[in-house]
Amino acid sequence: MRTKILIILSLVLLSCSSNKEEQPKKTNPPNITFTTVMNTSIAGEAITLNFKTNLLIANYKLQVKNAYGTILLNPDKSATENITFTIPKNFTRIAGPFRWKLLVNSETLDKGTHVIATNAPKATYVESYFGPRSITAGYNDFSMLTISPTDAYDNPLDNGTEVTVKYQFLENIDESKITTESFVAWYNVASTLTSGRILVTSECNGTASKELTTIVYPSNAVNFSISAASAHNFADGNQIITFTSDIIKDEFGNIVTNGTLVTFVIKNEKDAYLYTIGTTLNGIAIAKTLHPDKASKWEIQAFITGAAESNTTKFVFKPAIKDYPVHFSQGNRNIDIGPFESFMKQLIPDGLLVQLDIYDEEGMFIESKKTTTKDGVCTIFLGEYFLPDGDYVFKLTAAGITKEFTKTIYGDTIK
Amino acid sequence: MAKKNTNTLLILALIVGLAFHGSAIFFTLESTYDALIHLFFADHYASSWFDPWEYRWYTGFTVQSYPPLVHQLIGLLSYIGGLKFGMYTVALIAIVLFITGAYRFTLLMTGSRRIAGYGAVLAVFSSTFVETLHIFGQLPSISALSILLHSMTEIYLWIKTGKTRYFITSATMLAVTVTSHHVTPLFGMVFFIAPLMGMAVMDAAREKVESYKKLTFRVFWGTTLQHFWRIVKFGFTAIFLLVFCIFPYWYNSKRNPITQVAIPHGSRDNFLEITSSGLVFFIIPWGILLFILPYFFYRYFSKRYVFFGLSFALLTILGTGGTTPIPLMMLGEMAFNILTLDRFTLWATIMALPIFAEFAYRMVEGDLKVLIQKRFGAVYHRVLGGLIAGGMLFMVVFTMTLGYFRPSQPAKIKMLPIVNFLGADSHDSWRYLPLGFGDQMAWLSAQTRAMTVDGNYHSARRLPELTTRAIERIENSKFRGVEGIGSLQQFLTVPEKYNLKYIFSNDKFYDPILYYCGWQRLQQLENGIMVWEKLNVAPIPQIMPKQDVPTIMKVMWGIIPLTTVLLAIFVNIQMIWVRLLKSKKIPAHSFTKLELPYNKFPSRLLTFSHWWALLILICLGYGMYIFYVKNVTQLSPNNLVESYYDALDFKEFSRAHSYIDPDENIDIAQYMLEVSVTDGILSSYAKLDSLGIEIYDKTENSAKAKVATRWITPLENVFNNDHHELVKRNNKWYLKSSKVDNDIPPDQLFTANGTTYYNHGRRKITTQETYHEDVLKQPVLEILSAKLVKYKGQYSIVGELQNVDNTPADIVIKATLYNDKNKELANYNAKHQIKHKLMPKETTTFKINFEGIAWSSTKDTLPPTFNPDEFTPVSFEEQPTKFNLQSAGNVANTDLYKHVALQDLEYTEQGFNGVLFNSGVQEVTIPQLIISYYDVDGELLWVDHKFVTEGVRIQRKQFFNYKPLELDSLKIITSGLENCFVNGSPNKAIADKIFPNRILKHGRQQAYPFKGKGYEYLKFEINSYIGNPK
Repeated sequence: MRTKILIILSLVLLSCSSNKEEQPKKTNPPNITFTTVMNTSIAGEAITLNFKTNLLIANYKLQVKNAYGTILLNPDKSATENITFTIPKNFTRIAGPFRWKLLVNSETLDKGTHVIATNAPKATYVESYFGPRSITAGYNDFSMLTISPTDAYDNPLDNGTEVTVKYQFLENIDESKITTESFVAWYNVASTLTSGRILVTSECNGTASKELTTIVYPSNAVNFSISAASAHNFADGNQIITFTSDIIKDEFGNIVTNGTLVTFVIKNEKDAYLYTIGTTLNGIAIAKTLHPDKASKWEIQAFITGAAESNTTKFVFKPAIKDYPVHFSQGNRNIDIGPFESFMKQLIPDGLLVQLDIYDEEGMFIESKKTTTKDGVCTIFLGEYFLPDGDYVFKLTAAGITKEFTKTIYGDTIK
Repeated sequence: MAKKNTNTLLILALIVGLAFHGSAIFFTLESTYDALIHLFFADHYASSWFDPWEYRWYTGFTVQSYPPLVHQLIGLLSYIGGLKFGMYTVALIAIVLFITGAYRFTLLMTGSRRIAGYGAVLAVFSSTFVETLHIFGQLPSISALSILLHSMTEIYLWIKTGKTRYFITSATMLAVTVTSHHVTPLFGMVFFIAPLMGMAVMDAAREKVESYKKLTFRVFWGTTLQHFWRIVKFGFTAIFLLVFCIFPYWYNSKRNPITQVAIPHGSRDNFLEITSSGLVFFIIPWGILLFILPYFFYRYFSKRYVFFGLSFALLTILGTGGTTPIPLMMLGEMAFNILTLDRFTLWATIMALPIFAEFAYRMVEGDLKVLIQKRFGAVYHRVLGGLIAGGMLFMVVFTMTLGYFRPSQPAKIKMLPIVNFLGADSHDSWRYLPLGFGDQMAWLSAQTRAMTVDGNYHSARRLPELTTRAIERIENSKFRGVEGIGSLQQFLTVPEKYNLKYIFSNDKFYDPILYYCGWQRLQQLENGIMVWEKLNVAPIPQIMPKQDVPTIMKVMWGIIPLTTVLLAIFVNIQMIWVRLLKSKKIPAHSFTKLELPYNKFPSRLLTFSHWWALLILICLGYGMYIFYVKNVTQLSPNNLVESYYDALDFKEFSRAHSYIDPDENIDIAQYMLEVSVTDGILSSYAKLDSLGIEIYDKTENSAKAKVATRWITPLENVFNNDHHELVKRNNKWYLKSSKVDNDIPPDQLFTANGTTYYNHGRRKITTQETYHEDVLKQPVLEILSAKLVKYKGQYSIVGELQNVDNTPADIVIKATLYNDKNKELANYNAKHQIKHKLMPKETTTFKINFEGIAWSSTKDTLPPTFNPDEFTPVSFEEQPTKFNLQSAGNVANTDLYKHVALQDLEYTEQGFNGVLFNSGVQEVTIPQLIISYYDVDGELLWVDHKFVTEGVRIQRKQFFNYKPLELDSLKIITSGLENCFVNGSPNKAIADKIFPNRILKHGRQQAYPFKGKGYEYLKFEINSYIGNPK
């Protein structure tokens, strides 16, 4: 066993002492002359870097470094006399300087810089952005058009490149020239006082950009006026009353955007605040609500919250129903109410709310019962499960008319 | 010994079993509870065999949380014919394994091939197997159990003979069992293998003496000592296999212990109270076996089987769940709440099979037949046999069709449109959530790469919103009461937390909550599924968190399971070959010598069994009688009211109409018209939760009922009190009809104009990011006021916001609370106390409550009933003093209906009575009132809301009542707009630019001066949910 280990160990040692690996070559560095004349080029042009050397060895390397990264190149094999390096396309197409270093065994023999210029003549592309996409009419809003002209290889053109900006609004088409700075040219399109659509485009070296748009929306509304209209002014609880604004405009006379929300606040005779909502269409907001079912005085004012308000308009509802009969039967458990006659003695349309509040003799509230009329009448039945026999005070309210009865109710009515 | 013929009964059982189960699975398996989950796991293995991390559920979980064999087999087979092919193939294999397993188990137990044949046939028609396969779809469990049955013969022979061959065969089979299902071998060791060893030793002891009578404990003890080392060797091997074969599983359990709240399971119920659980987890699995229980106990407590007897008794008791307190006492609180107890019943019924087979044998051709014929006559024997067979068949058919008559799953959903939707237009860069899909959600997940926050394997839940509640899926949250809806609401309110953007709704029930949480309808797919989307949600980041495991675990997990199968086949193939083809004469196993002669069926047992059967019949009869009395609809006033509300709940209006007093002459058309015109949260989105019926003043022919109903809606609970009068005509009770609203609108035809919006999305078709010029500007909002207030011990942020842009906006607003040291305490989004969609220049008040994750400390007792609007305020360790508001607008083009007016408002003793009027052309299904309270200076104090339970139809009124709050205890902590941002820009800059001359008094001018406790002004705003936009 021990011998075996010894043999293995010695084999290992022998293999370690192999003399192939270790032999640092202490040769003098070769003499190198850089023979390429041009140290500038235009993006896209092929670049070769040539060197003359007195020592032909294989391991020359060229390290090339630009803003995007670093690569290590081997010399072209065909050129044995002189060492030639061909810079790859993705380096020759990027404008700006790149630095190179000639290396042998990690030692720098020579270094230099090559500058690639943008290739504007070949083709110019224009990339442009325009935003925000909508602005408000007036003096202080604007959209910015940003243009970045590039050459065919996506290199931004040099500072000072001239860009033509064209602008259209209504009849007016303008043109102005600006220059790039730090690769971009920009132009602030100031908002107009009239709402509408502004189109812009730009041009550089004969290349035009696409059409870009911003919409000038109207500014905030200014005060407006409203009116109320209905088929009649009786409080029948059935007709619909319509509130209409005049054409709502902003301070510059633009009609406010469609869909602008207008709240019509109604204050009734009891100082309760009701409301209905309209949204504008061509500046006119229309809102509807139902007639009250009792005589009322409404004061209506409309708001575009924070921006504008309207005049206050009044609408007086006259009572449609003057009076109605009430009939108790079946031990006063069955209450027939009506017929309700409206302003022309016609039966009122179905659905008038009738409310019965029930109090006990001491005036303690027990419960409310609600029903609606059909064919001008309605019936409330007080089953004895609901109300035991006894004396009660009934307050009946319909169409704003309250009637009070004190009745004794009795008897089982379940058939 | 008789010549070894092919066992015709076994062949028959296999043929019938494959034909019957094999064809039935195609109609049942996909609507079972579990099958599709296994399919999803299989899909995981099919696409990444070795990587256990699965991103698609629960924001990522590990599949090492479930033994992999069955999943891997399906995954492997899916390469041949797709996932479903794999699943059905594995199911077919499981069927064959189960029948043959039952055969071998019976053979081992009885020693008779004839009886074993009976066992195989009975296994085919065992209702417990039918239920496990066709209703539960527990493929791994069935496979594991079947292989365990197969291995029992080998284990017995190892103990008995000590031959290494048997040791190897039993160990390989056990390994397969372990890799298919972890619980089966774990408990199988206790309930099957331990008694089996006992029996083996007993048999060995029996061979030493002449008869069982002479088998004393001393003999038995001596034999035990002789076999001791075999038992130990096997025991340790089994434990080793259990640990080693699925070691990553145990590793994962240790690393991710199940800390979640236990999910209620029907098998833990008291079966007498909750009869549906009793049916599914007791009556069905036992089936006809219930009648023969005395025989099982009699046989299993004979000397040879005594260990099985103990095990059987234990399993039977454990299987009763919460009916008796014994299981809870035996298992302890912890295990009781984690285990599903139905598996004990499953094992008990499987254990009963051999004895049942023996019974059948004795009944059909043995001594029992002779005895019965002698005592009761031949006809009685035939009738009895027919009844037992008929009962068995009935149970099978009943179980099989249970899923048909009482579907446990929603109707089958065509997944292709959803899969296509998710695949198109980078929709899978966000998470999605299915709602109302049932277990089919797993099938959807298996078909797409898109991820969901939900999942269907509750042991692997990871999100605190899920683990802290007893819900298995958010998808079916409405069935999980407060916790379910609570969880869902958290996901809906703060969807950006999980990059949740799309919801596929297969259940209209959830629509209102989606709307009020700020979601919008995108489109209806051709399979009828509604897609909802949420704006302003960022896509899932490219790099997602992942819990990695050591490579060795991945390799073990990927390789061991199938290796165990290959090994088992390799080891056992020779024997299977020999046994099946009878190519070689093998000596009969020793246990076949123990076949009993069956010549004297104890007469007393027969008598006792009859009494027992009678008792069971009486119990069943009583149960059915109770069921009848409760369910005959017009037998009593109570039944009538219950049925009427049940009919209304399930929208069976013609049934409801049949309960209306016929003397009132309301025809069905009229009734339908009256009922169906009322839309609203109660009639369209509510589920009746509880019904309190109080019958009083009952006479011979009349009664009155006060009905207190509680409806679950996705938004909140609704309590209603109704009074009904009931009459009895011709021995049937009827309901008197109640009145309807007679309101008629003024116009037959009317016109409405309005602005509608359309957003193209991408104008240019591209697979790249949307073009710059196709991206709309975010509408500019302005926060008008914001305050941090404390009311009733709870912190909220209230405020007011306006869309100051010229396009409609969808609003998302998020608030963060800080303490004095600028430490973040909590953040949350505005839920439903805000109008999420604003027209240009529209304002909304909002309130943000800081909701904690409900019941995050599991010590809190869970509320026993449903309460969707239950709210868990976040508990603050420190005092919040500052807040930050981030609001974002996105162009909205739907849900912009604003035509509901407040037509009347009056303050009475009962609060505000108001009238809403719908002046537009869309029917408002659920109107919501947002009520804001202001102080004397018009400063906002508080925001409240109320959902009006009935809808507002076009040109009609709807009454509501609202009781104003008392705000004298409200405290303003801080107020201001310094840290308010809109679309990332400071609010002040926007206000200065867009609204430099804002008229501040407008707010107060639109509010209702009403002096209440702690406030001076009130404002009502209306937010309308439209169920069916036109």
